Amino acid sequence: MSAARRRPSLVRRLVILAAGWSAVALLVTGILLTTAFHQASLRRFDLVLSDVTQGLLAGSTVQDGQVVAPLLTDARALRVYSGRYWQIAEHAPGGRMRPLVRSRSLFDQELPVPGEVLASIAADPGKEFYYDTRGPLGQPLRAMAMQVSLPGRAAPVILMAAEDRSPLDAEARRFAYLTAGALVMLGAGILIAVMVQVRVGLRPLFDLRRAIADVRKGKTDRLAGDYPEELEPLAAELNALIVHNQEVVERQRTHVGNLAHALKTPLSVMLTEAHQTPGSLSEVVSHQAELMRGQVDHHLRRARAAARAQAPGERTQVEPVLDELAPTIERVCMPKDVVIDWRAPEDLWFRGERQDLLEIAGNVIENAGKWCKGKVRVTAAPVSPERFTLVVEDDGPGLPPERRGEVLKRGARLDESAPGSGLGLAIVDELARAYGGELTLGDSAMGGLKVELTLPRAEA
Amino acid sequence: MRILLVEDDPNLSRQLKQALGDAGYAVDHAADGEEAHYLGDAEPYDAIVLDLGLPKMDGVTVLERWRKDAIATPVLILTARAAWSEKVAGFDAGADDYLTKPFHTEELLARLRALLRRSAGHASPNLECGALRLDPRAARASIDGEPLRLTSLEYRLLHYLMMHQGRVISRTELVEHLYDQDFDRDSNTIEVFIGRLRKKIGPDRIETARGLGYRLVPLPGEATAA
Repeated sequence: MSAARRRPSLVRRLVILAAGWSAVALLVTGILLTTAFHQASLRRFDLVLSDVTQGLLAGSTVQDGQVVAPLLTDARALRVYSGRYWQIAEHAPGGRMRPLVRSRSLFDQELPVPGEVLASIAADPGKEFYYDTRGPLGQPLRAMAMQVSLPGRAAPVILMAAEDRSPLDAEARRFAYLTAGALVMLGAGILIAVMVQVRVGLRPLFDLRRAIADVRKGKTDRLAGDYPEELEPLAAELNALIVHNQEVVERQRTHVGNLAHALKTPLSVMLTEAHQTPGSLSEVVSHQAELMRGQVDHHLRRARAAARAQAPGERTQVEPVLDELAPTIERVCMPKDVVIDWRAPEDLWFRGERQDLLEIAGNVIENAGKWCKGKVRVTAAPVSPERFTLVVEDDGPGLPPERRGEVLKRGARLDESAPGSGLGLAIVDELARAYGGELTLGDSAMGGLKVELTLPRAEA
Repeated sequence: MRILLVEDDPNLSRQLKQALGDAGYAVDHAADGEEAHYLGDAEPYDAIVLDLGLPKMDGVTVLERWRKDAIATPVLILTARAAWSEKVAGFDAGADDYLTKPFHTEELLARLRALLRRSAGHASPNLECGALRLDPRAARASIDGEPLRLTSLEYRLLHYLMMHQGRVISRTELVEHLYDQDFDRDSNTIEVFIGRLRKKIGPDRIETARGLGYRLVPLPGEATAA
């Protein structure tokens, strides 16, 4: 499956979903919080303006048609351009206004009122109107205006108060930054928590995967361990499948073995009979019986090997197999005295069936035993975590390089004088290939042939 | 020379009886496992040719019973079972040779001759050390009557240790008796072989004399018979 088309991993799916949802929730929370804070501070700000106007309203009098403002003791209203201002004005023709009295802080400036605010004030006397504007130094101002009537004066007056709102804005900004920072940290925390939760939550799944890998690597022959109720049926089914697989292999091997045994005794009878009554017919029978024997051996071994190489979950310790084979082969080679000197590390494991390692190593070592003058050396050694080599050397005549290809051909027999079917190394080659291994032939320092097998290794 | 032929196939039995008779052997025939077991126990044969797939009692079982009954007659297994696991099981049960079907009659006769020659050869007595027994005639060792599976190098080492039991033998001496002149020697290999022997006969039967060598001893409480 290509990476582009692969469905996203469960972990990524869960993390992305949780992260997306958290991000939206945190963003909305942030906006709500800052908005609420801003509005609350604005209301408080507006109350101050309202107080100033109410003070103006309460204290203003009309003397001789002139509006007289009360003496407001607010120091900020006295200092020029301090940022707090008030003003009493009246409507002027043309939708404008004319200031009548203003705070000292305004000096010679006046508080501006936008036309539409002025119109609204006139339309709704007594109501407080708030708006934003610019002050004498370009300060951003929060302003309030209200139209009232003063006793003793026919024309209504406009009471106005304003204050520099930059402290308010700065505070709102600070709050927004603080909130954003806190929420980002909260988001990061949630993300980490989600990742941990997903990992921990899905751990049984990873355990299951590891267990299956162990079965395939041959460390165990079934899935062990407790799984949560969602995975338990899956594990049980997998175990049933493994058992079924092993049963099929076992049954096939039994059939194959029965066929082999059933055919071999009649073949023996034919061979012996043909031998005891010489003639042209017996020669043909003899020859054909030999061919049949070779075919039977070859196809039976192949069927067995093919059935086994597919069966997962098997591993075999190398040392005991060599320990069994070496004395056996020394006896099989009698009456020739063959000394087999073998070495294998104890913690070396073959990834595959014991029977197959016995067949592979048995045939190679027997072949060496057949050809040696008396000594055979067998060395098993790991070459990587995945592979090991089995080197079998003898002190026999060896094999010239140009003939090494022939020996691996099925049924090839280089020297009719040596006992055996001549299939030995070809069978080994096939078995090794069925396991993804390989066989190479070379010269041994002992003088004879060196057969080097590379085979799959299982972890100890 | 008297041979017991155990084979259930009538055709093959007839042929083999004839071939063995032509070669000058007196042949008794058993067609099933029980009969074979009885005959092997009762009669003093010089050798036995034994099929494995037998009615009534499997050939391997028959062989194991003979060996348990201390019948030391050389046995050649003649069978269709050609897998190495089966050969290993055959030798573990106490077989002396193994020939797979189909076979050539000459090969059977040649192997039988070799077997008889071997068993007639040395007349040296058995060696014992506690529960450990070594039979130089059959090149076989056992412990508590259970046959030990030994390569010839391991057998040589055990043989030498048993001949000199109770004495500390240096590594150099062992290497010299283990290997011929032209085999490469290094003294580490002795440790490998001592390790393997200890696994098979029990760790305490071979003592290490630090810096000096090794000594074979019976276990405490075992009778010594040198």
